[in-house]
Amino acid sequence: MKRSQLLLRLLFKAAWVRKDRAFTAVVSVAVVATIATAALTIYSDLEGKLSREFRGFGANVVLTKNSGFLTPDELTGVHKIVGSAGEIVPVAYAIATETTSKARIVVGGADVDKLRELNSSWSFSNTGHGNALVGARVDETITHGSDLRLSFGKASAVIRPAGFFHSGSDDDSRVYIPLEDFVQLTGIRPNIALLRIEGKPQQIQNAISQLSAGLPGVEVKPVRQITQAQTAVVGKTRSVVLASSAAVVVLIMLCMVATFTGSVLERRKDFAVMKALGASNRTVNFLFASEAALLALAGAAAGYLLGCVIAFWIGKANFDAAILPQPMLSLPILLGSVALALIASTAPLRLLQQIQPAGILRGE
Amino acid sequence: MFLRLLFESFRRQKRRKSVALLAIALGMSIATAMIAVGNDIGDKINQELRSLGANLVITPIEDTLDVNIGGVNLKPASEGAVIPEQDLIKMKGIFWGHNIKGFAPFLSDKKNIETRGGEVNAELIGTYFAQPLRHGDDQFSTGVRTVNPWWKVEGEWPQDYGNWPEQLPPDVLAGRKLRISGILDSGGAEDQAIVAPLHIVQAILGQPNAVQRVTVSALTKPEDAFARKDPDKLSPAVRERWYCSPYANSIAYQLRQALPNVRVEQIRPVEQNQGKVLSRVTGLMLLLSLAALLAAALAVSAAMAATILERRQEVGLMKSLGAGNSAVASLFLTEAAFLAIAGGLIGFLAGAVLAHRIGQSIFGSAIVVHPVVLAVVLFGAVLVTFLGSAGAVRKAMQFDPAVVLRGDA
Repeated sequence: MKRSQLLLRLLFKAAWVRKDRAFTAVVSVAVVATIATAALTIYSDLEGKLSREFRGFGANVVLTKNSGFLTPDELTGVHKIVGSAGEIVPVAYAIATETTSKARIVVGGADVDKLRELNSSWSFSNTGHGNALVGARVDETITHGSDLRLSFGKASAVIRPAGFFHSGSDDDSRVYIPLEDFVQLTGIRPNIALLRIEGKPQQIQNAISQLSAGLPGVEVKPVRQITQAQTAVVGKTRSVVLASSAAVVVLIMLCMVATFTGSVLERRKDFAVMKALGASNRTVNFLFASEAALLALAGAAAGYLLGCVIAFWIGKANFDAAILPQPMLSLPILLGSVALALIASTAPLRLLQQIQPAGILRGE
Repeated sequence: MFLRLLFESFRRQKRRKSVALLAIALGMSIATAMIAVGNDIGDKINQELRSLGANLVITPIEDTLDVNIGGVNLKPASEGAVIPEQDLIKMKGIFWGHNIKGFAPFLSDKKNIETRGGEVNAELIGTYFAQPLRHGDDQFSTGVRTVNPWWKVEGEWPQDYGNWPEQLPPDVLAGRKLRISGILDSGGAEDQAIVAPLHIVQAILGQPNAVQRVTVSALTKPEDAFARKDPDKLSPAVRERWYCSPYANSIAYQLRQALPNVRVEQIRPVEQNQGKVLSRVTGLMLLLSLAALLAAALAVSAAMAATILERRQEVGLMKSLGAGNSAVASLFLTEAAFLAIAGGLIGFLAGAVLAHRIGQSIFGSAIVVHPVVLAVVLFGAVLVTFLGSAGAVRKAMQFDPAVVLRGDA
């Protein structure tokens, strides 16, 4: 029998004869690998997933051109910076008078569908067949569900509502009509653009600085309450997840090391027999280390797969979007587990090497 | 005899027992820390979400439409209805009064203001900054500093002027100059306005006791289908349940009852979304805690199983000396229970310290571990060690004592 075959046989037998011992060792490594993989995978995707939840807050940046209107070139520039994931709604405002009550109403011109999409938290009731969005207070005080007759200086128009909305802001006192109609009635083009920049807090900050640098004469104002809350909540949640996962991984690792060390110490008789049969310290170390490495590798591989499944499922269950496995994590997890197992199994051998094999075999 | 066996087992196998104890203590400290963090994270993140500001707004029902473009208010203060300022304190008297974390009243109008550089026409906004108020025995202060935490001031915040509810005499400001205490950076329309204590603005505008709008920051429960029900159409029992749930809708309903002739609206972007964000974060921590608890349980079980599996010779010896299966099992399980309780106690203390540290370093406030967690952790420790030991003990007892003692098993 060749030396390598003998080694393989020894390793296989050691695991096979004491299946339960090998099993507990594999389980303890697998637990560490699972929890480390799950926590790190979730952590790496958390910022993106949580930032998405801030979508519903509506516009997070407002552009205002101080004089004149936003030119098509400027809007193209904004599109480039904001990207396809974000939203841009140019808006123009004018004051109109309702012809019967003589009440002054702020009328906005915008892409009405995009506006609805941007403000998904508003509550809409679709009752009309027109194309205007009417604020709840306008409806309560003036229209009561019917059409609205407005005069814009010389021009006047009948506004047919497509729906009514509650926002809890000044918009409740406003009416939004399609931008083309608005421009036709007033001649005014948008000088304000409501933006929702998608992404992590840092990406949003970068986009804001790019916008400020690229659009002279345009005031770029982040809606600070939203951007601040997003930064705070995302940052702190990440920190909590990181801190608690780190604590859990370290503690479970220690737990695994204790199990491993304990089980090696229990094998002092194996150790003594090997030594008594003439094995050198190096050979014994090598044997124990190879066994630990093999068990750890099996445990870590199983743990990595299970960890990916858990992260995927947590993403699905909590964020309605899967958290995909990070293949980059597999190597550190496998190597880390093997290194830990090696340390845990070879450290106690030093202790045993100080004792005479005869003494161990006698049961001292 | 049993006690002596137990005692000797601990005395003679110090190393083996300490390994098991360490594993249990580590596992239980994970359990304690994760339960504590998972349990407290909702409150902590809710505090962070307060920086979104108010979630309810109150306006007079008789009010005319707002005429506001780009943050410039074009509606004179004399037009439209107002809410009496002295009624605002009634908000604290509603069923969910404790959930009202703060409110800020506003009164504003365009005004010519004389400055050193000449006369300017600017919007003058009156509000509370941190106005001390009293409701019954409850003393508190409220204003934009609590409700709009994103407002920043370079210099000093103005002092709220005048003791509510006593009104200032109309001529109190005649000929007096007002000092600018700081430059406000709100990131919003207020950056173009002058913001002053409410009572000064009321005196300047000649509208004592008047408020146009109040924003309210209330702790609410995320809206669900039940929250959207119309309370007036519910049966008395169901209506009571609706009324006693801290939904934004039910708090708004109660505010309308307390303040006659007002409309209360949710500030929808804030109210609709903060619950969602909160439930995502708490849900994530719950699932992570569950995963960690499961991992800790498995790790502890594996450690217990490993220590008992190594003791099959002991089992063989006991059985060959005539011990029954139940006697062996009860000895091992009693040992496990002692280890579990000791490990659980140590783990609880270590976990509490860990949770405290996490709270302090991330949120700047401690995460308090509820004493009931101790009971849960101890119970969990005993359960997990029993589960880990029971399988191994059963396995060890299945072997023939003679074979075990020969060392062949």
